[in-house]
Amino acid sequence: MFERFTKDARAVVTEAVVHAKRAGAETVEETHLLLALLDRKGSRGSFALTSLGLPARRGSVERALAEARRRGGLSRADADALSGLGIDLSEIVSRVEEAHGQGALKAERSGTGGGGTGRRRGLVRRSGHRPFTRGAKDLLTDSLRIALANRDRSIGDEHLLLAITARPGVPAEVLADHGVTYESVRRVLYGGGEAKAG
Amino acid sequence: MTEATDLAERAGDRDPRVGLRAVSALRRLLEQLEAVQVRSARNQGWSWQEIAAELGVSRQAVHKKYGRQ
Repeated sequence: MFERFTKDARAVVTEAVVHAKRAGAETVEETHLLLALLDRKGSRGSFALTSLGLPARRGSVERALAEARRRGGLSRADADALSGLGIDLSEIVSRVEEAHGQGALKAERSGTGGGGTGRRRGLVRRSGHRPFTRGAKDLLTDSLRIALANRDRSIGDEHLLLAITARPGVPAEVLADHGVTYESVRRVLYGGGEAKAG
Repeated sequence: MTEATDLAERAGDRDPRVGLRAVSALRRLLEQLEAVQVRSARNQGWSWQEIAAELGVSRQAVHKKYGRQ
């Protein structure tokens, strides 16, 4: 799959690892891919983001991501679902922070999916290698699917961006709050969206 | 209706997506909460055995998951 990635798409993948490292995360998450994508310049993905006015709001995006991280990496949709069960996520966050300090619930293992056993974590730490979470891997696979559906020969960072906006979760939610949705990205990249609809 | 059946009924809301999303969110929240509590217990000098007993899992399971932290 990676041989079909453009230089920019590859850069996003490798820079995501740097973002994960900087954040002290054990795994490379979808959020790190998004942050790496925001760093790109002169690429198709950055063209789309710039057209949608995101660069000027980068600080706000980063704050929203940090806020979600503080909620244990749960999205607003997650919070709504929990509230449907009578569980007040913000109340839980504040109680945990009262007892264990600010940012105690900060997602450290988010995206590993349920039932993650943390296998080989010791090895991971010692070598300094950070594995991609299942969600982040799925995102890469989605980008391939999206490129194929658009009959694009290679996978560029714009396909990564489309894949992020198409997946439920914190990154898509935060982007949508800033006017970047699957539809709006398609519109700036492909025009109306109908012509090349996959 | 007891609170428990009320909860169960809502978790099994007619739209499966709503129920599944709630379960998934709860599971992720649980993982985070467990990590916080285990870390806190370790910081207070608890043994893996003691932590495992409280969590109702084997010592090996909890050590495998959180060891080397």
